[in-house]
Amino acid sequence: MSVVSVRDVSKTFGSGHTAVTAVDHVSLSVDAGDIVLVMGPSGSGKTTLLSMIGTLMSPTTGRILISGQDTSALDPAQLSRLRLREFGFVFQTFNLLSALTAEENVMLPLLTAGVPRKHARAKARAALEQLQLGHRLRNLPRDLSGGEKQRVAIARSLANDPRLILADEPTANLDAKTGQDVTLLLCETACRENRAVIIVSHDQRLRTAAKRVITIEDGRLTAEEPGEHDRNCRMHPEAAPA
Amino acid sequence: MLFLAVKNLVQEKTRLLISVGGVAFSVLLIMSIQGLYQGWSNKIGEYIRTVPADYWITQTGATDMFHTPSVLPLTVRDFLTGVPGVASAKPFSGRRVAFAHNGKDINLYVIADDTENNVGAPARVVEGKAVPESGEIIIDRVVGRSQDIRIGDTIPVAGRELKVAGYSEGGYILSFSFAFATKEDAESILQLPGATNFFLVTVQDGTDAGAVASRIEANPAVDAITKDRFVENNTNIVRDTFLPIILVLLLIGIAVGMTVIGLTIFTSTIEKAREYGVLKAIGVSNRQLYTVVVAQAVTAAVLGYLLGAGLALATSAAAGSFVPEFITEIRWLDAAWIFAVTLGMAVVSSLLPVRRLARIDPAEVFRA
Repeated sequence: MSVVSVRDVSKTFGSGHTAVTAVDHVSLSVDAGDIVLVMGPSGSGKTTLLSMIGTLMSPTTGRILISGQDTSALDPAQLSRLRLREFGFVFQTFNLLSALTAEENVMLPLLTAGVPRKHARAKARAALEQLQLGHRLRNLPRDLSGGEKQRVAIARSLANDPRLILADEPTANLDAKTGQDVTLLLCETACRENRAVIIVSHDQRLRTAAKRVITIEDGRLTAEEPGEHDRNCRMHPEAAPA
Repeated sequence: MLFLAVKNLVQEKTRLLISVGGVAFSVLLIMSIQGLYQGWSNKIGEYIRTVPADYWITQTGATDMFHTPSVLPLTVRDFLTGVPGVASAKPFSGRRVAFAHNGKDINLYVIADDTENNVGAPARVVEGKAVPESGEIIIDRVVGRSQDIRIGDTIPVAGRELKVAGYSEGGYILSFSFAFATKEDAESILQLPGATNFFLVTVQDGTDAGAVASRIEANPAVDAITKDRFVENNTNIVRDTFLPIILVLLLIGIAVGMTVIGLTIFTSTIEKAREYGVLKAIGVSNRQLYTVVVAQAVTAAVLGYLLGAGLALATSAAAGSFVPEFITEIRWLDAAWIFAVTLGMAVVSSLLPVRRLARIDPAEVFRA
């Protein structure tokens, strides 16, 4: 069963002669372990598609199934629980909570899901240490570099062991080297743990991390090609040495 | 989610201070006014409670010592002592007398200290003579301090010059206070020849007091009022005078507290709208988010309450020593209902931020 199944989905904003179709009859399946890069120019509908897959926006027509469950049949509370359980989000601007330390930011989804505080802390700590942030546990976001913030965001997105990670322009606010490192880190983690990843980006360099590259223009999927993941991911024996 | 509420509050220290300060001011206002009301209510009844009587006998229609005049001929005593079940009936004379002293208006409620009948003595004498002699008067210490009247001074009471012989305590009632003169001096001041204001009746042990009162009230010229009821009637003067003022100040206090908490939490919610959007996106339910906002308001309110209550206690103690008329009594019961009002304020003032929170679109988080 696919982790995500997008079936003939469209999204139209406004009505009448001012209506704008942001996503136009898109169908797409993403399986566990898939790393899908969605590319396209600004205004092509990438982020709208990501928002709908992430159940933050409902389609005008068509259906989206998450692990076989039709999201249109769920009420807002059920959608919240679905997001908490099934999704991890990585944002362009990191979106860490400014009042919380790195450790607390990672603990937040765990606590929301009802994990006891002690276990949540241990798990957050382990996740951050795995991302080489063991020395930054008690730091507030303002004291972290861009790369560190994005690694904290990745740790947070993985906290509840989601089946799908949705990343929106994860490298946009990072320098080239940090961006590449962070993306590889995300993809390696997903690969190792067999999670599905959908990345929306303009950044052509992310092809190196993706297994599939999908192009979207004017709301329509116009092309799909294989990415270069297997050549670069250190989880694969055929990967080129760094 | 409580930890997030606390972290948000602590992160914005200035806003927290404003919020806590607003609630503290509100609690200080409410608690001080309530303390004054309670203090004055108690004071007005304090002396009357010490007067030895089961029933106060008044002229028909009179219900208290201050608002409804009562004058009874001394012959009523014969009627009262003849009523089966009455153990004793003693005259009690007293009324308000106003005069000027050192350029200030002074109001005393002069009571005849009838040593013969053992009626009309001060509740507690704290300085000077306990029993006035002819030409002397005992005044309340609060009046002595506030009007700078010292023991040995002479004051003009209803045309008579009386020497202050002592200070009593527990007889200060807002704008006037109880004072005690000899029976003869009081009669001269009060101008009650052959009459008194009340009779104090005690009932024989083992007698049905209600039945005795009914027998007394068979006389159409008098009413028999139980001691507790008489205390309450007099205390109601404070309630009737001050309750509307207290209610207005209470509403002002609540409005100030709610406005300050509401605005600070609302602006905080607006500023953190994106973060709340992130929380919604990662799966935090609206209910959990509301809990964060309400917890922030409640935490600020509890801190404000503690500060305000502490200030109210300190202010009452300090003000009482500088301004003798500032008589307060802050009871646990009052502290409890003010705490409940404070929590109510916090919850109500969260409604606006919660409404704003409900409208935050989590999809916004994907916008850079």
